[in-house]
Amino acid sequence: MPTLEHNGSSFQVDEDGFLLTGMEEFNEDWIEYVSSVEGIEELTDEHRKVIDSLQEYYKKNGIAPMVRILSKTTGFPLKRIYELFPSGPGKGACKMAGLPKPTGCV
Amino acid sequence: MGYNPDKPMDGRLSDLGPPHYEQFFPQVIRENKGKWLWHEILQAGVLMHKSETGAEVYTVRVGSARLISIEHVRELCDIADAHCDGHLRFTTRNNVEFMVDAKEKVQPLLDDLASRGNKFPVGGTGAGVTNIVHTQGWAHCHTPATDASGVVKAVMDELFEYFTSQVLPAQCRIALACCLNMCGAVHASDIAILGVHRKPPMIDHTRISGVCELPLAISSCPLGAVKPAKAVVNGKEIKTVKVNVERCMFCGNCYTMCPAMPLADPDGDGIAILVGGKVSNSRQAPKFSKLVIPFLPNNTPRWPEVVNAIKGILEAYAAGANKYERLGEWAERIGWEKFFEVCEIPFTDKSIDDYRLAYDSWRTTTQFKYTSHTASYTK
Ligand code: HEM
Ligand code: HEM
Ligand code: SF4
Ligand code: SF4
Repeated sequence: MPTLEHNGSSFQVDEDGFLLTGMEEFNEDWIEYVSSVEGIEELTDEHRKVIDSLQEYYKKNGIAPMVRILSKTTGFPLKRIYELFPSGPGKGACKMAGLPKPTGCV
Repeated sequence: MGYNPDKPMDGRLSDLGPPHYEQFFPQVIRENKGKWLWHEILQAGVLMHKSETGAEVYTVRVGSARLISIEHVRELCDIADAHCDGHLRFTTRNNVEFMVDAKEKVQPLLDDLASRGNKFPVGGTGAGVTNIVHTQGWAHCHTPATDASGVVKAVMDELFEYFTSQVLPAQCRIALACCLNMCGAVHASDIAILGVHRKPPMIDHTRISGVCELPLAISSCPLGAVKPAKAVVNGKEIKTVKVNVERCMFCGNCYTMCPAMPLADPDGDGIAILVGGKVSNSRQAPKFSKLVIPFLPNNTPRWPEVVNAIKGILEAYAAGANKYERLGEWAERIGWEKFFEVCEIPFTDKSIDDYRLAYDSWRTTTQFKYTSHTASYTK
Protein backbone atom coordinates (compact mmCIF):
# COMPACT_ATOMS: atom_id res chain seq x y z
CA MET A 1 0.00 0.00 0.00
CA PRO A 2 1.63 3.31 -1.01
CA THR A 3 1.85 5.97 1.70
CA LEU A 4 1.73 9.64 0.86
CA GLU A 5 3.14 12.46 3.03
CA HIS A 6 1.77 16.00 2.99
CA ASN A 7 2.50 18.76 5.56
CA GLY A 8 3.47 16.08 8.08
CA SER A 9 0.29 14.02 7.71
CA SER A 10 0.58 10.61 6.07
CA PHE A 11 -2.13 8.93 4.05
CA GLN A 12 -2.59 5.44 2.65
CA VAL A 13 -3.68 5.78 -0.96
CA ASP A 14 -4.35 3.60 -3.99
CA GLU A 15 -2.84 4.00 -7.46
CA ASP A 16 -5.39 6.69 -8.35
CA GLY A 17 -4.70 8.66 -5.17
CA PHE A 18 -7.93 7.82 -3.34
CA LEU A 19 -7.75 7.33 0.44
CA LEU A 20 -7.73 3.56 1.07
CA THR A 21 -9.34 3.84 4.47
CA GLY A 22 -11.75 6.57 3.45
CA MET A 23 -12.76 9.28 5.88
CA GLU A 24 -10.78 7.74 8.76
CA GLU A 25 -7.63 9.49 7.54
CA PHE A 26 -9.36 12.56 6.12
CA ASN A 27 -8.16 15.94 7.45
CA GLU A 28 -7.33 19.50 6.34
CA ASP A 29 -3.92 18.41 4.99
CA TRP A 30 -5.71 15.96 2.71
CA ILE A 31 -7.95 18.73 1.34
CA GLU A 32 -4.88 20.85 0.67
CA TYR A 33 -3.02 17.98 -0.94
CA VAL A 34 -5.90 17.10 -3.28
CA SER A 35 -6.37 20.78 -4.20
CA SER A 36 -2.73 20.89 -5.25
CA VAL A 37 -3.03 17.90 -7.59
CA GLU A 38 -6.51 18.71 -8.90
CA GLY A 39 -5.63 22.21 -10.09
CA ILE A 40 -7.74 23.99 -7.46
CA GLU A 41 -6.01 27.28 -6.68
CA GLU A 42 -8.21 28.63 -3.93
CA LEU A 43 -10.48 26.58 -1.72
CA THR A 44 -13.78 28.44 -1.34
CA ASP A 45 -16.91 27.99 0.75
CA GLU A 46 -18.48 26.45 -2.31
CA HIS A 47 -15.84 23.71 -2.32
CA ARG A 48 -16.51 23.17 1.39
CA LYS A 49 -20.20 22.90 0.76
CA VAL A 50 -19.69 20.12 -1.80
CA ILE A 51 -17.32 18.22 0.49
CA ASP A 52 -19.59 18.55 3.54
CA SER A 53 -22.57 17.50 1.51
CA LEU A 54 -20.78 14.40 0.19
CA GLN A 55 -19.53 13.39 3.63
CA GLU A 56 -22.86 13.91 5.30
CA TYR A 57 -24.63 11.82 2.67
CA TYR A 58 -22.00 9.08 2.84
CA LYS A 59 -22.12 8.85 6.64
CA LYS A 60 -25.89 8.58 6.55
CA ASN A 61 -26.34 6.25 3.56
CA GLY A 62 -23.06 4.37 3.04
CA ILE A 63 -22.91 5.46 -0.60
CA ALA A 64 -21.92 8.55 -2.54
CA PRO A 65 -24.95 10.55 -3.70
CA MET A 66 -26.05 10.37 -7.32
CA VAL A 67 -24.98 13.44 -9.25
CA ARG A 68 -28.55 14.78 -9.36
CA ILE A 69 -28.82 14.51 -5.59
CA LEU A 70 -25.51 16.31 -5.09
CA SER A 71 -26.76 19.12 -7.32
CA LYS A 72 -29.99 19.30 -5.37
CA THR A 73 -28.45 19.32 -1.87
CA THR A 74 -25.73 21.85 -2.76
CA GLY A 75 -27.83 23.89 -5.15
CA PHE A 76 -24.96 23.77 -7.68
CA PRO A 77 -25.74 22.67 -11.22
CA LEU A 78 -23.31 20.07 -12.66
CA LYS A 79 -21.58 22.81 -14.65
CA ARG A 80 -20.71 24.66 -11.42
CA ILE A 81 -19.45 21.45 -9.78
CA TYR A 82 -17.07 21.01 -12.72
CA GLU A 83 -15.91 24.61 -12.36
CA LEU A 84 -15.14 23.93 -8.69
CA PHE A 85 -13.66 20.47 -9.28
CA PRO A 86 -12.24 20.25 -12.82
CA SER A 87 -11.96 16.43 -12.62
CA GLY A 88 -15.65 16.24 -11.79
CA PRO A 89 -17.75 15.09 -8.82
CA GLY A 90 -16.22 11.58 -8.74
CA LYS A 91 -12.50 11.92 -9.41
CA GLY A 92 -12.32 15.40 -7.89
CA ALA A 93 -14.87 16.01 -5.15
CA CYS A 94 -15.25 12.42 -3.84
CA LYS A 95 -11.48 12.02 -3.73
CA MET A 96 -11.12 15.23 -1.72
CA ALA A 97 -13.96 14.27 0.61
CA GLY A 98 -12.35 10.89 1.38
CA LEU A 99 -15.12 8.79 -0.15
CA PRO A 100 -14.28 5.42 -1.76
CA LYS A 101 -13.20 5.48 -5.39
CA PRO A 102 -16.19 5.28 -7.74
CA THR A 103 -16.67 1.77 -9.15
CA GLY A 104 -18.56 0.21 -12.04
CA CYS A 105 -17.93 0.87 -15.72
CA VAL A 106 -16.64 4.38 -15.20
CA MET B 1 0.70 25.41 -26.29
CA GLY B 2 2.18 22.71 -24.05
CA TYR B 3 0.12 21.36 -21.16
CA ASN B 4 0.92 23.12 -17.86
CA PRO B 5 0.18 20.83 -14.89
CA ASP B 6 0.09 23.83 -12.52
CA LYS B 7 -2.68 25.47 -14.54
CA PRO B 8 -4.62 22.54 -15.96
CA MET B 9 -7.57 24.63 -17.17
CA ASP B 10 -5.45 27.15 -19.13
CA GLY B 11 -5.92 26.87 -22.90
CA ARG B 12 -8.01 23.73 -22.41
CA LEU B 13 -10.10 22.70 -25.40
CA SER B 14 -13.16 20.58 -24.74
CA ASP B 15 -16.51 19.47 -26.17
CA LEU B 16 -15.22 19.57 -29.74
CA GLY B 17 -16.73 16.20 -30.63
CA PRO B 18 -15.34 13.97 -33.36
CA PRO B 19 -14.25 15.54 -36.65
CA HIS B 20 -17.01 15.53 -39.27
CA TYR B 21 -16.84 12.26 -41.20
CA GLU B 22 -17.26 13.96 -44.58
CA GLN B 23 -13.75 15.37 -44.19
CA PHE B 24 -12.44 11.85 -44.73
CA PHE B 25 -14.55 10.77 -47.70
CA PRO B 26 -12.69 9.51 -50.77
CA GLN B 27 -13.51 11.70 -53.79
CA VAL B 28 -15.82 9.12 -55.41
CA ILE B 29 -17.77 8.66 -52.16
CA ARG B 30 -18.15 12.43 -51.69
CA GLU B 31 -19.43 12.90 -55.24
CA ASN B 32 -21.92 10.03 -55.13
CA LYS B 33 -23.24 10.23 -51.59
CA GLY B 34 -26.96 9.36 -51.58
CA LYS B 35 -26.91 8.34 -55.25
CA TRP B 36 -26.05 4.65 -55.08
CA LEU B 37 -28.14 2.39 -57.32
CA TRP B 38 -26.98 -1.17 -56.64
CA HIS B 39 -24.05 -3.26 -55.46
CA GLU B 40 -22.60 -6.69 -56.03
CA ILE B 41 -20.00 -8.91 -54.42
CA LEU B 42 -17.40 -9.66 -57.10
CA GLN B 43 -15.56 -12.22 -55.01
CA ALA B 44 -15.11 -12.88 -51.28
CA GLY B 45 -13.86 -9.61 -49.82
CA VAL B 46 -14.47 -7.44 -52.91
CA LEU B 47 -17.62 -5.31 -53.40
CA MET B 48 -18.68 -2.96 -56.19
CA HIS B 49 -21.18 -0.13 -55.80
CA LYS B 50 -22.71 1.57 -58.85
CA SER B 51 -23.93 5.16 -58.70
CA GLU B 52 -26.64 6.85 -60.77
CA THR B 53 -23.85 9.11 -62.12
CA GLY B 54 -22.25 5.99 -63.64
CA ALA B 55 -19.39 6.10 -61.13
CA GLU B 56 -18.22 2.87 -59.52
CA VAL B 57 -16.44 2.23 -56.27
CA TYR B 58 -14.64 -1.03 -55.55
CA THR B 59 -14.19 -1.97 -51.90
CA VAL B 60 -11.65 -4.50 -50.68
CA ARG B 61 -12.36 -5.72 -47.13
CA VAL B 62 -9.51 -7.16 -45.05
CA GLY B 63 -9.48 -8.80 -41.64
CA SER B 64 -7.91 -7.09 -38.66
CA ALA B 65 -7.00 -8.21 -35.15
CA ARG B 66 -8.75 -5.09 -33.73
CA LEU B 67 -5.99 -4.81 -31.10
CA ILE B 68 -3.29 -3.35 -33.35
CA SER B 69 -0.04 -1.43 -32.99
CA ILE B 70 0.65 2.01 -34.38
CA GLU B 71 3.15 0.32 -36.75
CA HIS B 72 0.29 -1.73 -38.15
CA VAL B 73 -1.88 1.39 -38.52
CA ARG B 74 0.98 3.06 -40.39
CA GLU B 75 1.21 0.09 -42.73
CA LEU B 76 -2.55 0.41 -43.38
CA CYS B 77 -1.89 4.08 -44.18
CA ASP B 78 0.95 3.14 -46.57
CA ILE B 79 -1.44 0.86 -48.45
CA ALA B 80 -4.11 3.56 -48.55
CA ASP B 81 -1.53 6.10 -49.79
CA ALA B 82 -0.33 3.75 -52.52
CA HIS B 83 -3.77 2.74 -53.86
CA CYS B 84 -6.59 4.85 -52.43
CA ASP B 85 -5.39 8.49 -52.33
CA GLY B 86 -4.83 8.12 -48.60
CA HIS B 87 -8.37 7.00 -47.72
CA LEU B 88 -9.61 3.98 -45.79
CA ARG B 89 -12.32 2.98 -43.34
CA PHE B 90 -13.01 0.52 -40.51
CA THR B 91 -16.25 -1.47 -40.40
CA THR B 92 -18.59 -2.07 -37.45
CA ARG B 93 -16.93 -5.47 -37.05
CA ASN B 94 -13.44 -3.98 -37.09
CA ASN B 95 -12.49 -5.10 -40.57
CA VAL B 96 -10.64 -2.57 -42.74
CA GLU B 97 -11.94 -1.44 -46.13
CA PHE B 98 -9.85 0.01 -48.95
CA MET B 99 -11.78 1.74 -51.73
CA VAL B 100 -10.68 2.42 -55.32
CA ASP B 101 -12.64 4.16 -58.09
CA ALA B 102 -11.83 1.92 -61.07
CA LYS B 103 -11.79 -1.79 -61.73
CA GLU B 104 -8.16 -1.74 -62.99
CA LYS B 105 -7.04 -0.56 -59.57
CA VAL B 106 -8.43 -3.62 -57.74
CA GLN B 107 -5.91 -6.27 -58.79
CA PRO B 108 -2.80 -4.18 -57.94
CA LEU B 109 -4.34 -3.54 -54.50
CA LEU B 110 -5.07 -7.25 -53.98
CA ASP B 111 -1.52 -8.15 -55.11
CA ASP B 112 -0.02 -5.61 -52.72
CA LEU B 113 -2.11 -6.95 -49.81
CA ALA B 114 -1.14 -10.54 -50.67
CA SER B 115 2.56 -9.59 -50.81
CA ARG B 116 2.47 -8.61 -47.11
CA GLY B 117 2.17 -12.16 -45.76
CA ASN B 118 -0.96 -12.97 -43.80
CA LYS B 119 -1.37 -9.51 -42.30
CA PHE B 120 -4.25 -8.41 -44.50
CA PRO B 121 -6.48 -11.37 -45.41
CA VAL B 122 -9.18 -10.40 -47.92
CA GLY B 123 -12.70 -11.56 -47.11
CA GLY B 124 -15.52 -11.08 -44.62
CA THR B 125 -18.30 -10.50 -47.18
CA GLY B 126 -21.47 -12.42 -48.00
CA ALA B 127 -22.45 -15.76 -46.50
CA GLY B 128 -19.27 -16.49 -44.59
CA VAL B 129 -17.75 -15.91 -41.18
CA THR B 130 -16.56 -12.34 -40.82
CA ASN B 131 -14.55 -10.77 -38.02
CA ILE B 132 -15.32 -11.71 -34.40
CA VAL B 133 -16.61 -8.74 -32.38
CA HIS B 134 -14.70 -9.01 -29.10
CA THR B 135 -13.64 -7.33 -25.90
CA GLN B 136 -10.63 -6.64 -23.68
CA GLY B 137 -9.98 -9.93 -21.88
CA TRP B 138 -6.76 -10.31 -19.95
CA ALA B 139 -5.21 -7.53 -22.03
CA HIS B 140 -6.94 -4.74 -20.12
CA CYS B 141 -10.13 -5.43 -18.12
CA HIS B 142 -10.35 -6.42 -14.44
CA THR B 143 -13.60 -8.45 -14.56
CA PRO B 144 -12.93 -11.08 -17.30
CA ALA B 145 -13.47 -14.83 -16.90
CA THR B 146 -11.53 -15.55 -20.07
CA ASP B 147 -9.32 -13.84 -22.61
CA ALA B 148 -10.59 -12.11 -25.76
CA SER B 149 -7.74 -11.73 -28.27
CA GLY B 150 -6.34 -15.23 -27.62
CA VAL B 151 -9.63 -17.09 -28.07
CA VAL B 152 -10.53 -15.01 -31.13
CA LYS B 153 -7.20 -15.80 -32.81
CA ALA B 154 -7.59 -19.54 -32.12
CA VAL B 155 -11.16 -19.59 -33.50
CA MET B 156 -10.40 -17.47 -36.58
CA ASP B 157 -7.40 -19.65 -37.43
CA GLU B 158 -9.67 -22.70 -37.47
CA LEU B 159 -12.47 -20.96 -39.40
CA PHE B 160 -10.18 -19.02 -41.72
CA GLU B 161 -11.50 -20.73 -44.87
CA TYR B 162 -14.98 -19.34 -44.03
CA PHE B 163 -13.58 -15.80 -43.87
CA THR B 164 -12.17 -16.00 -47.37
CA SER B 165 -15.16 -17.84 -48.94
CA GLN B 166 -18.95 -17.45 -49.08
CA VAL B 167 -20.16 -21.04 -48.84
CA LEU B 168 -22.51 -20.92 -45.83
CA PRO B 169 -26.33 -20.75 -46.01
CA ALA B 170 -26.19 -17.18 -44.63
CA GLN B 171 -23.69 -14.99 -42.84
CA CYS B 172 -22.61 -16.34 -39.45
CA ARG B 173 -21.75 -13.70 -36.85
CA ILE B 174 -19.45 -14.82 -34.07
CA ALA B 175 -18.88 -12.61 -31.03
CA LEU B 176 -16.93 -12.95 -27.80
CA ALA B 177 -17.30 -11.25 -24.43
CA CYS B 178 -14.96 -12.14 -21.58
CA CYS B 179 -17.62 -11.70 -18.87
CA LEU B 180 -21.40 -11.47 -18.84
CA ASN B 181 -21.39 -7.69 -18.92
CA MET B 182 -21.43 -8.74 -22.57
CA CYS B 183 -19.69 -5.66 -23.93
CA GLY B 184 -20.42 -5.93 -27.61
CA ALA B 185 -22.64 -8.41 -29.37
CA VAL B 186 -22.67 -11.85 -27.71
CA HIS B 187 -26.29 -11.46 -26.67
CA ALA B 188 -27.44 -11.33 -30.30
CA SER B 189 -24.95 -13.29 -32.44
CA ASP B 190 -25.21 -16.54 -34.39
CA ILE B 191 -22.45 -18.03 -32.25
CA ALA B 192 -21.39 -16.38 -29.01
CA ILE B 193 -18.38 -17.14 -26.82
CA LEU B 194 -18.89 -15.95 -23.26
CA GLY B 195 -16.53 -15.94 -20.27
CA VAL B 196 -18.21 -17.40 -17.14
CA HIS B 197 -17.25 -17.93 -13.49
CA ARG B 198 -18.28 -20.96 -11.40
CA LYS B 199 -17.27 -19.87 -7.91
CA PRO B 200 -18.77 -17.25 -5.58
CA PRO B 201 -16.86 -14.09 -4.64
CA MET B 202 -14.32 -14.02 -1.81
CA ILE B 203 -14.78 -11.17 0.64
CA ASP B 204 -11.79 -9.18 1.84
CA HIS B 205 -13.06 -7.78 5.15
CA THR B 206 -9.81 -5.87 5.79
CA ARG B 207 -10.26 -3.68 2.71
CA ILE B 208 -14.01 -3.53 2.30
CA SER B 209 -14.73 -0.53 4.57
CA GLY B 210 -12.34 1.74 2.70
CA VAL B 211 -13.01 0.76 -0.88
CA CYS B 212 -16.71 -0.23 -1.09
CA GLU B 213 -20.02 1.51 -0.88
CA LEU B 214 -21.76 -1.47 0.74
CA PRO B 215 -25.35 -0.66 -0.33
CA LEU B 216 -24.14 -0.66 -3.96
CA ALA B 217 -22.63 -4.13 -3.58
CA ILE B 218 -25.89 -5.35 -2.03
CA SER B 219 -28.10 -3.87 -4.73
CA SER B 220 -25.81 -5.05 -7.55
CA CYS B 221 -26.83 -8.69 -7.00
CA PRO B 222 -29.59 -9.90 -9.33
CA LEU B 223 -30.45 -12.71 -6.89
CA GLY B 224 -30.35 -10.89 -3.56
CA ALA B 225 -27.45 -13.09 -2.47
CA VAL B 226 -25.43 -10.22 -0.95
CA LYS B 227 -26.56 -9.16 2.52
CA PRO B 228 -25.21 -6.70 5.10
CA ALA B 229 -23.06 -8.32 7.81
CA LYS B 230 -20.60 -7.54 10.59
CA ALA B 231 -17.04 -8.78 10.88
CA VAL B 232 -14.19 -8.22 13.33
CA VAL B 233 -11.02 -6.75 11.82
CA ASN B 234 -8.05 -6.07 14.13
CA GLY B 235 -10.32 -6.43 17.14
CA LYS B 236 -12.77 -3.87 15.80
CA GLU B 237 -16.28 -4.60 14.59
CA ILE B 238 -16.84 -3.33 11.05
CA LYS B 239 -19.73 -3.28 8.60
CA THR B 240 -19.29 -5.66 5.69
CA VAL B 241 -21.34 -8.05 3.54
CA LYS B 242 -21.88 -11.79 3.35
CA VAL B 243 -22.80 -13.86 0.31
CA ASN B 244 -25.38 -16.62 0.39
CA VAL B 245 -23.40 -19.09 -1.69
CA GLU B 246 -26.50 -21.19 -2.46
CA ARG B 247 -28.10 -18.19 -4.19
CA CYS B 248 -25.01 -16.91 -6.03
CA MET B 249 -24.74 -17.71 -9.75
CA PHE B 250 -21.30 -16.13 -10.15
CA CYS B 251 -22.23 -13.18 -12.33
CA GLY B 252 -19.50 -10.97 -10.84
CA ASN B 253 -21.68 -7.85 -10.66
CA CYS B 254 -20.82 -7.38 -6.99
CA TYR B 255 -17.12 -7.34 -7.86
CA THR B 256 -17.73 -4.71 -10.55
CA MET B 257 -19.18 -2.52 -7.80
CA CYS B 258 -16.92 -3.62 -4.92
CA PRO B 259 -13.19 -4.27 -5.40
CA ALA B 260 -13.08 -6.29 -2.15
CA MET B 261 -15.25 -9.09 -3.66
CA PRO B 262 -13.05 -10.77 -6.33
CA LEU B 263 -14.21 -14.07 -7.86
CA ALA B 264 -11.86 -14.88 -10.76
CA ASP B 265 -10.48 -18.40 -10.42
CA PRO B 266 -8.24 -20.32 -12.83
CA ASP B 267 -10.15 -23.63 -12.51
CA GLY B 268 -13.61 -22.20 -11.98
CA ASP B 269 -13.50 -19.81 -14.92
CA GLY B 270 -14.09 -20.77 -18.51
CA ILE B 271 -16.32 -20.32 -21.52
CA ALA B 272 -20.01 -20.88 -22.29
CA ILE B 273 -21.29 -21.10 -25.86
CA LEU B 274 -24.56 -19.44 -26.91
CA VAL B 275 -26.10 -19.64 -30.38
CA GLY B 276 -28.97 -18.44 -32.51
CA GLY B 277 -29.02 -14.67 -32.05
CA LYS B 278 -29.33 -12.08 -34.81
CA VAL B 279 -29.90 -8.36 -35.07
CA SER B 280 -31.40 -7.88 -38.53
CA ASN B 281 -35.13 -7.84 -39.19
CA SER B 282 -34.86 -9.74 -42.46
CA ARG B 283 -37.29 -12.70 -42.65
CA GLN B 284 -37.59 -13.05 -38.86
CA ALA B 285 -37.37 -10.58 -35.99
CA PRO B 286 -34.08 -10.12 -34.12
CA LYS B 287 -33.30 -12.89 -31.63
CA PHE B 288 -31.24 -13.28 -28.50
CA SER B 289 -28.63 -16.04 -28.48
CA LYS B 290 -29.33 -19.02 -26.19
CA LEU B 291 -27.02 -21.07 -23.99
CA VAL B 292 -26.18 -24.48 -25.48
CA ILE B 293 -22.84 -25.37 -23.88
CA PRO B 294 -22.58 -24.25 -20.24
CA PHE B 295 -18.86 -24.67 -19.70
CA LEU B 296 -15.60 -25.31 -21.52
CA PRO B 297 -12.22 -24.83 -19.81
CA ASN B 298 -9.80 -21.96 -20.35
CA ASN B 299 -7.22 -24.16 -22.01
CA THR B 300 -4.60 -21.56 -23.03
CA PRO B 301 -3.18 -20.61 -25.44
CA ARG B 302 -5.34 -22.29 -28.12
CA TRP B 303 -8.65 -23.20 -26.36
CA PRO B 304 -9.01 -26.47 -28.34
CA GLU B 305 -12.34 -27.46 -26.69
CA VAL B 306 -13.89 -24.10 -27.58
CA VAL B 307 -12.54 -24.15 -31.13
CA ASN B 308 -13.85 -27.71 -31.71
CA ALA B 309 -17.26 -26.91 -30.30
CA ILE B 310 -17.67 -23.88 -32.56
CA LYS B 311 -16.43 -25.71 -35.61
CA GLY B 312 -18.87 -28.56 -34.91
CA ILE B 313 -21.83 -26.21 -34.60
CA LEU B 314 -20.86 -24.27 -37.73
CA GLU B 315 -20.46 -27.43 -39.81
CA ALA B 316 -23.77 -28.91 -38.64
CA TYR B 317 -25.47 -25.62 -39.50
CA ALA B 318 -23.77 -25.41 -42.91
CA ALA B 319 -24.92 -28.96 -43.69
CA GLY B 320 -28.48 -28.58 -42.40
CA ALA B 321 -29.73 -25.06 -43.03
CA ASN B 322 -31.57 -23.73 -46.08
CA LYS B 323 -30.26 -20.88 -48.18
CA TYR B 324 -30.60 -17.50 -46.39
CA GLU B 325 -31.41 -19.22 -43.09
CA ARG B 326 -29.47 -17.81 -40.11
CA LEU B 327 -28.32 -20.23 -37.43
CA GLY B 328 -31.12 -19.27 -35.04
CA GLU B 329 -33.78 -19.57 -37.73
CA TRP B 330 -32.48 -23.05 -38.58
CA ALA B 331 -32.44 -24.18 -34.93
CA GLU B 332 -36.01 -22.94 -34.41
CA ARG B 333 -37.25 -24.58 -37.63
CA ILE B 334 -35.84 -28.01 -36.83
CA GLY B 335 -36.57 -27.61 -33.09
CA TRP B 336 -33.95 -27.07 -30.39
CA GLU B 337 -34.09 -30.76 -29.43
CA LYS B 338 -32.97 -31.57 -32.97
CA PHE B 339 -30.33 -28.87 -32.83
CA PHE B 340 -28.73 -30.57 -29.81
CA GLU B 341 -28.93 -33.94 -31.57
CA VAL B 342 -27.42 -32.93 -34.91
CA CYS B 343 -24.70 -30.86 -33.23
CA GLU B 344 -24.00 -33.78 -30.86
CA ILE B 345 -24.11 -31.47 -27.87
CA PRO B 346 -25.16 -33.05 -24.56
CA PHE B 347 -28.18 -31.22 -23.15
CA THR B 348 -27.75 -30.15 -19.52
CA ASP B 349 -30.00 -28.57 -16.91
CA LYS B 350 -27.87 -25.42 -17.29
CA SER B 351 -29.74 -24.69 -20.53
CA ILE B 352 -33.10 -24.62 -18.72
CA ASP B 353 -33.95 -21.04 -17.81
CA ASP B 354 -34.61 -20.50 -14.08
CA TYR B 355 -34.50 -16.71 -13.86
CA ARG B 356 -37.71 -14.74 -13.19
CA LEU B 357 -39.41 -14.97 -16.61
CA ALA B 358 -38.19 -18.52 -17.13
CA TYR B 359 -41.68 -20.05 -17.48
CA ASP B 360 -42.16 -18.74 -21.02
CA SER B 361 -39.07 -20.60 -22.20
CA TRP B 362 -40.38 -24.05 -21.17
CA ARG B 363 -42.37 -26.27 -23.52
CA THR B 364 -46.13 -25.84 -23.11
CA THR B 365 -47.12 -28.15 -25.93
CA THR B 366 -47.02 -31.83 -26.74
CA GLN B 367 -45.27 -30.99 -30.01
CA PHE B 368 -41.72 -32.30 -29.93
CA LYS B 369 -39.53 -34.77 -31.75
CA TYR B 370 -37.97 -37.90 -30.25
CA THR B 371 -34.19 -37.58 -30.35
CA SER B 372 -31.16 -39.48 -29.16
CA HIS B 373 -31.45 -37.40 -25.97
CA THR B 374 -35.04 -38.49 -25.24
CA ALA B 375 -34.02 -42.04 -26.02
CA SER B 376 -31.35 -41.91 -23.36
CA TYR B 377 -33.85 -40.67 -20.71
CA THR B 378 -36.43 -43.34 -21.47
CA LYS B 379 -34.01 -46.25 -21.76
C1 HEM C 1 -16.37 -3.78 -15.69
C2 HEM C 1 -16.99 -3.01 -16.54
C3 HEM C 1 -16.32 -2.38 -17.72
C4 HEM C 1 -15.06 -1.92 -17.84
C5 HEM C 1 -13.95 -1.90 -16.81
C6 HEM C 1 -14.92 -1.43 -19.19
C7 HEM C 1 -13.77 -0.88 -19.69
C8 HEM C 1 -13.60 -0.51 -20.99
C9 HEM C 1 -12.38 0.01 -21.54
C10 HEM C 1 -11.10 0.24 -20.76
C11 HEM C 1 -12.59 0.23 -22.85
C12 HEM C 1 -11.59 0.73 -23.85
C13 HEM C 1 -11.69 2.20 -23.96
C14 HEM C 1 -10.70 2.73 -24.95
O1 HEM C 1 -10.32 2.00 -25.88
O2 HEM C 1 -10.33 3.89 -24.80
C15 HEM C 1 -13.93 -0.13 -23.14
C16 HEM C 1 -14.51 -0.04 -24.38
C17 HEM C 1 -15.82 -0.33 -24.63
N1 HEM C 1 -16.76 -0.76 -23.72
FE1 HEM C 1 -16.45 -1.15 -21.80
N2 HEM C 1 -16.08 -1.59 -19.86
C18 HEM C 1 -16.97 -2.18 -19.00
C19 HEM C 1 -18.29 -2.49 -19.25
C20 HEM C 1 -18.92 -2.25 -20.43
C21 HEM C 1 -20.32 -2.55 -20.70
C22 HEM C 1 -21.29 -3.14 -19.70
C23 HEM C 1 -20.54 -2.21 -21.99
C24 HEM C 1 -21.78 -2.28 -22.82
C25 HEM C 1 -22.89 -2.93 -22.50
C26 HEM C 1 -19.31 -1.71 -22.53
C27 HEM C 1 -19.14 -1.29 -23.83
C28 HEM C 1 -17.96 -0.89 -24.37
C29 HEM C 1 -17.79 -0.54 -25.76
C30 HEM C 1 -18.88 -0.55 -26.84
C31 HEM C 1 -16.45 -0.18 -25.92
C32 HEM C 1 -15.79 0.28 -27.19
C33 HEM C 1 -15.18 -0.87 -27.92
C34 HEM C 1 -14.50 -0.40 -29.19
O3 HEM C 1 -14.92 0.58 -29.79
O4 HEM C 1 -13.53 -1.06 -29.58
N3 HEM C 1 -18.35 -1.73 -21.56
N4 HEM C 1 -14.54 -0.58 -21.99
C1 HEM D 1 -33.48 -5.98 -27.56
C2 HEM D 1 -32.28 -5.58 -27.21
C3 HEM D 1 -31.04 -5.75 -28.02
C4 HEM D 1 -30.83 -6.40 -29.20
C5 HEM D 1 -31.81 -7.17 -30.04
C6 HEM D 1 -29.44 -6.22 -29.53
C7 HEM D 1 -28.84 -6.77 -30.64
C8 HEM D 1 -27.52 -6.60 -30.98
C9 HEM D 1 -26.84 -7.27 -32.05
C10 HEM D 1 -27.45 -8.33 -32.94
C11 HEM D 1 -25.59 -6.82 -32.12
C12 HEM D 1 -24.53 -7.25 -33.10
C13 HEM D 1 -24.44 -6.43 -34.32
C14 HEM D 1 -23.49 -7.09 -35.31
O1 HEM D 1 -23.40 -8.34 -35.35
O2 HEM D 1 -22.87 -6.37 -36.09
C15 HEM D 1 -25.45 -5.88 -31.07
C16 HEM D 1 -24.32 -5.19 -30.82
C17 HEM D 1 -24.11 -4.44 -29.69
N1 HEM D 1 -24.99 -4.28 -28.64
FE1 HEM D 1 -26.89 -4.90 -28.59
N2 HEM D 1 -28.84 -5.49 -28.57
C18 HEM D 1 -29.77 -5.18 -27.62
C19 HEM D 1 -29.58 -4.48 -26.47
C20 HEM D 1 -28.36 -3.92 -26.09
C21 HEM D 1 -28.12 -3.23 -24.86
C22 HEM D 1 -29.15 -3.01 -23.77
C23 HEM D 1 -26.82 -2.81 -24.89
C24 HEM D 1 -26.01 -2.03 -23.90
C25 HEM D 1 -26.35 -1.80 -22.66
C26 HEM D 1 -26.25 -3.26 -26.14
C27 HEM D 1 -24.96 -3.01 -26.55
C28 HEM D 1 -24.43 -3.43 -27.74
C29 HEM D 1 -23.12 -3.04 -28.22
C30 HEM D 1 -22.13 -2.12 -27.51
C31 HEM D 1 -22.93 -3.68 -29.46
C32 HEM D 1 -21.72 -3.60 -30.35
C33 HEM D 1 -21.92 -2.53 -31.38
C34 HEM D 1 -20.81 -2.52 -32.43
O3 HEM D 1 -20.41 -3.61 -32.90
O4 HEM D 1 -20.36 -1.42 -32.79
N3 HEM D 1 -27.20 -3.93 -26.83
N4 HEM D 1 -26.62 -5.76 -30.39
S1 SF4 E 1 -17.03 -8.32 -21.35
FE1 SF4 E 1 -16.61 -8.06 -19.15
S2 SF4 E 1 -14.49 -8.64 -18.87
FE2 SF4 E 1 -14.82 -8.30 -21.07
S3 SF4 E 1 -14.23 -6.17 -21.45
FE3 SF4 E 1 -16.43 -6.18 -21.01
S4 SF4 E 1 -16.58 -5.84 -18.80
FE4 SF4 E 1 -14.48 -6.43 -19.23
S1 SF4 F 1 -21.45 -12.95 -8.11
FE1 SF4 F 1 -23.46 -12.17 -8.82
S2 SF4 F 1 -24.96 -13.63 -7.98
FE2 SF4 F 1 -23.04 -13.93 -6.85
S3 SF4 F 1 -23.22 -12.61 -5.06
FE3 SF4 F 1 -22.12 -11.42 -6.62
S4 SF4 F 1 -23.74 -10.27 -7.66
FE4 SF4 F 1 -24.78 -11.93 -6.52
